[in-house]
Amino acid sequence: MESDSDISTSFDVATDQNPNTNPPETTEEQLQTLTVDETYGVADLNETSNQRGMDEAENGSVVAEVDGRPEPQIEELLAGGPPTISAVSEAVEEVLDLSSAGDTLRDDFELEADPPLSPSSSGYAGERGSSITTSASGIEEVDGDEIDEIDEAMAPLDGSGDASSDSVPWIPGKKHVDEDDASISWRKRKKHFFVLSHSGKPIYSRYGDEYKLAGFSATLQAIISFVENGGDHVKFVRAGKHQVVFLVKGPIYLVCISCTEEPYEALRGQLDLIYGQTILILTKSVNRCFEKNPKFDMTPLLGGTDAVYSSLIHSFSWNPATFLHAYTCLPLAYPTRQAAGAILQDVAESGVLFAILMCKHKVVSLVGAQKASLHPDDMLLLSNFIVSCESFRTSESFSPICLPRYNPMAFLYAYVHYLDVDTYLVLLTTSSDAFYHLKDCRIRIEMVLLKSNVLSEVQRSMLDGGLRVEDLPPLDPSPRSGFLSLHLGQERLVTESQERLKEAYLGIGGPAGLWHFIYRSIFLDQYVSSEFSPPINSSSQQKRLCRAYQKLYASMHDRGIGPHKTQFRRDENYVLLCWMTQDFELYAAFDPLADKALAIETCNRVCQWVRDVENEIFLLGASPFSWYGCCLWCCKEWRWC
Amino acid sequence: MATMGNNNLNAKLVLLGDMGAGKSSLVLRFVKGQFIEFQESTIGAAFFSQTLAVSDATVKFEIWDTAGQERYHSLAPMYYRGAAAAIIVYDITSTDSFAKAKKWVQELQKQGNPNMVMTLAGNKADLEDKRKVTTEEARVYAEENGLFFMETSAKTAINVNDIFHEIAKRLPRAQPAQNPAGMVLVDRAGERSRAAGFSYSNSIDCLRVVRRGLSSFHGETVRRFDANIRKVDPYVTDWSTFFLAL
Ligand SMILES: Nc1nc2c(ncn2[C@@H]2O[C@H](COP(=O)(O)OP(=O)(O)OP(=O)(O)O)[C@@H](O)[C@H]2O)c(=O)[nH]1
Ligand SMILES: [Mg+2]
Repeated sequence: MESDSDISTSFDVATDQNPNTNPPETTEEQLQTLTVDETYGVADLNETSNQRGMDEAENGSVVAEVDGRPEPQIEELLAGGPPTISAVSEAVEEVLDLSSAGDTLRDDFELEADPPLSPSSSGYAGERGSSITTSASGIEEVDGDEIDEIDEAMAPLDGSGDASSDSVPWIPGKKHVDEDDASISWRKRKKHFFVLSHSGKPIYSRYGDEYKLAGFSATLQAIISFVENGGDHVKFVRAGKHQVVFLVKGPIYLVCISCTEEPYEALRGQLDLIYGQTILILTKSVNRCFEKNPKFDMTPLLGGTDAVYSSLIHSFSWNPATFLHAYTCLPLAYPTRQAAGAILQDVAESGVLFAILMCKHKVVSLVGAQKASLHPDDMLLLSNFIVSCESFRTSESFSPICLPRYNPMAFLYAYVHYLDVDTYLVLLTTSSDAFYHLKDCRIRIEMVLLKSNVLSEVQRSMLDGGLRVEDLPPLDPSPRSGFLSLHLGQERLVTESQERLKEAYLGIGGPAGLWHFIYRSIFLDQYVSSEFSPPINSSSQQKRLCRAYQKLYASMHDRGIGPHKTQFRRDENYVLLCWMTQDFELYAAFDPLADKALAIETCNRVCQWVRDVENEIFLLGASPFSWYGCCLWCCKEWRWC
Repeated sequence: MATMGNNNLNAKLVLLGDMGAGKSSLVLRFVKGQFIEFQESTIGAAFFSQTLAVSDATVKFEIWDTAGQERYHSLAPMYYRGAAAAIIVYDITSTDSFAKAKKWVQELQKQGNPNMVMTLAGNKADLEDKRKVTTEEARVYAEENGLFFMETSAKTAINVNDIFHEIAKRLPRAQPAQNPAGMVLVDRAGERSRAAGFSYSNSIDCLRVVRRGLSSFHGETVRRFDANIRKVDPYVTDWSTFFLAL
């Protein structure tokens, strides 16, 4: 097996260990994986030899070369950092360890987390990896949470803070408005987000009052402009524990200052979403205001939207959609979702651009007019906007809304109506006088949904929840007859071995120490994640896991290194396993002491399970992506017919 | 636009005014009898309907509670277009909101339907100790502009139902002859297009238009006009008696 080690992954190891338990399609997928792997192998080497990593040649942008030159204001802000800002060195260091890890990965599918692997660590093929590497990234999470969170634990009644301490629910809206950059508490916050104009006017700040932060904002503007004027872009600056990430979108600058150790790509993606949220509220034509008057003050235009931003920022720490660029569905029996889809389809044919039925952030059904397709990021921003604005709950509304990925320049009109506490219908149209038509559509839809019990099924599903790792069925090597249902009323097939496994891991997740997983279908633009179950039950643990996934995602998608196909990381918090194929990406978190071979086998089981219940957990067909969905739906195949 | 069938009136009503003036609170008080201390800022516009019985008819209000946030200002015509009535709301504790209200009145006078029943609501009347806009100041302004004026409190419910009742009473009625008994309007689209073609068939609207014309030159005439207007039964069809009284 080691002889052709460059085409063997640990999944081969797993196959060797458990030859009888792998279904044939797994091998098939592996083969596919391997082919792709080889292709990318060359590119990887090139990239590695360049050692460029973080700077994207594509944009011609570079990492800020500000090393050695102290920036007094930043220094002051980032109290606790070393006296110089060394952007380049740290970035390269990170790239190096990833690229060396990349080689290791192909060899023996082992990436024992960060910190950097020593080159010698690539030589232990065959080791099952039960050693625990102390990770630097772990310290951040263990050491203490954001000051925000500490605040909360001490003063739970001030109605502020992230959902972090288990007892205090997250409350939307602006926190700590009284602060400014002179406040010690403000400086200690672990993650700041700023939006400012190119003239340095504050537009949004996560903490503190925008107007009081005018001076600070001007400083950020000065840094960005300084580099922009040289024809370059600042992407990020590192100052000790802090990372400052910049995103320039025309006249709007976005900045994140964070010491959460999240990767650059993740933070940048978050800034992208914040920008998208702004476009959703105002459209990109807000740029024209800056053309007319460079000193234009944009803050009043965003009046009353603090809750929208704070909810979005909060979702960065719990909602995988924010980095997966995929949406998730509420699990429903197939005929139920079909019934909902049929009536939405009916309405879409009467001049509605998109008809979306959602429950919180999960899709019940969704239909687009011919050729119109809805980007998952737009769905995330739209549902965040609707869910975070209390005003939509009061009555039916008709509001201008822009979908940045659909058309950033123009408003669509959204008819929004809550059918029950969590379930809402959004009908999008291009026509500003379609209200009465949409209202009639809604009445029709609501009637059908009530008659066909869709709404009660939706509520039931909300109560039941989604897939649970504890319920992972054993791998079934024989051809499947019918479908295993997830817990939607039908009884599950519980085998002896499953019972045994359950016993062994009772109260600590699923079989083989499986704690959680996310399965993302590439064709469908959808993902499904298991419910959080013990030991991932507090919101701070969920946040930590979400960040770990995010990091994994970023490393798997790092263009500088080429897409990895598999990754196995172990640190003191988890064993993380990622497996990418053309069709799907699987992210799984295990007990840090989990056995590697068993973990791999478990991942295969997860994939099979997901396929067995795909009818219920995904929206198949009749979606804006129906050209993919159709194949899935009629041929039961995870690829093109 | 008010339309009528069988003494049932459908009237589109729009609320305009600065953010935080209390538009949503007034509507919620009127429609649901509620008051929420921390009412969230409205997004776009929220739609409500509520039916009121007045002496001669049942009025079904289709209410557009618009957002006062600046970014929605340019979209307001979408909501007030074709409205039969408007309530322009300000907060008696904020002179800014009163200034904004005047701007809305101006905009409606320029862009709106000339037959629109316009009312001015000085809301948060319960906050007497924080008052910045005197009743007198607002009353004079309202008279000058032919607005019906009331101070309201969504919190205590004072004058809330009254203002809607007053609007219902003042809504232009179509001539009964044009809507023969027994004919019921069911087609919404038809209803709306008919509404759009509304003619000056109603006394109170004519008066309003005449008055607006008068107000631009002679103060004394306006005052006499106003004194008379109150004496006139809004449903008179005999115009000559009224104009003779002027
Ligand atoms: N004391 C007092 N407070 C009121 C009254 N009416 C509204 N408020 C409060 O004023 C605030 C704003 O009220 P809203 O009804 O949301 O104002 P709005 O005009 O709809 O604001 P936008 O939707 O942003 O345009 C809320 O906190 C209300 O509780 C009132 O009559 N008295
Ligand atoms: Mg409101």
